[in-house]
Amino acid sequence: MIAWILVGLGCAFLIIGTIGIVRFRDVYSRLQASGVSDNVGSAILLVGLMVLDGLTARDAALLFLIALLLITNPIATHSIARSAFASHHEEGGGG
Amino acid sequence: MAIVEGIVLATLLVVLARLLFGPTPWDRLLAANSAATRVLLLMAILAVVEDRTLYFDVAIVYAAISFLGIVIVARVMERAGGIR
Repeated sequence: MIAWILVGLGCAFLIIGTIGIVRFRDVYSRLQASGVSDNVGSAILLVGLMVLDGLTARDAALLFLIALLLITNPIATHSIARSAFASHHEEGGGG
Repeated sequence: MAIVEGIVLATLLVVLARLLFGPTPWDRLLAANSAATRVLLLMAILAVVEDRTLYFDVAIVYAAISFLGIVIVARVMERAGGIR
């Protein structure tokens, strides 16, 4: 039951992030929506997959995947934002 | 579990639409990052559902390679002063 709540919460965060990516009008706003909700949603969903069937050997791989995701995703988001800012991309522009 | 796969796949398709129609190159890069995260989640769900440990290794390598590619493309666009 707890596992399904966690998986559902992760799916909800993913849907909210996707709506943000589609609806926001700015590169930086879209980066905010994508970076925050992708991190939280995928981490919660993977924790839900860990809880789903007790303590098995695959929990180590899932834990490593969560750690890798939580380390690399903010770096990629920051790199994209830094690239856009250093190239003098203006806020509010670009559809 | 099939409905969870369906939800992740639907968000993946919507993000791919942003990758296709994104007005600026950074939008496309952002959409590629999000799509890579969602593909990774699909691989993890598939590994748990079908009980195959091999898919985890594929997911880990996929995450590392997509991270490297996105950071390198962002740095190249920063050096070039933006591709309009």
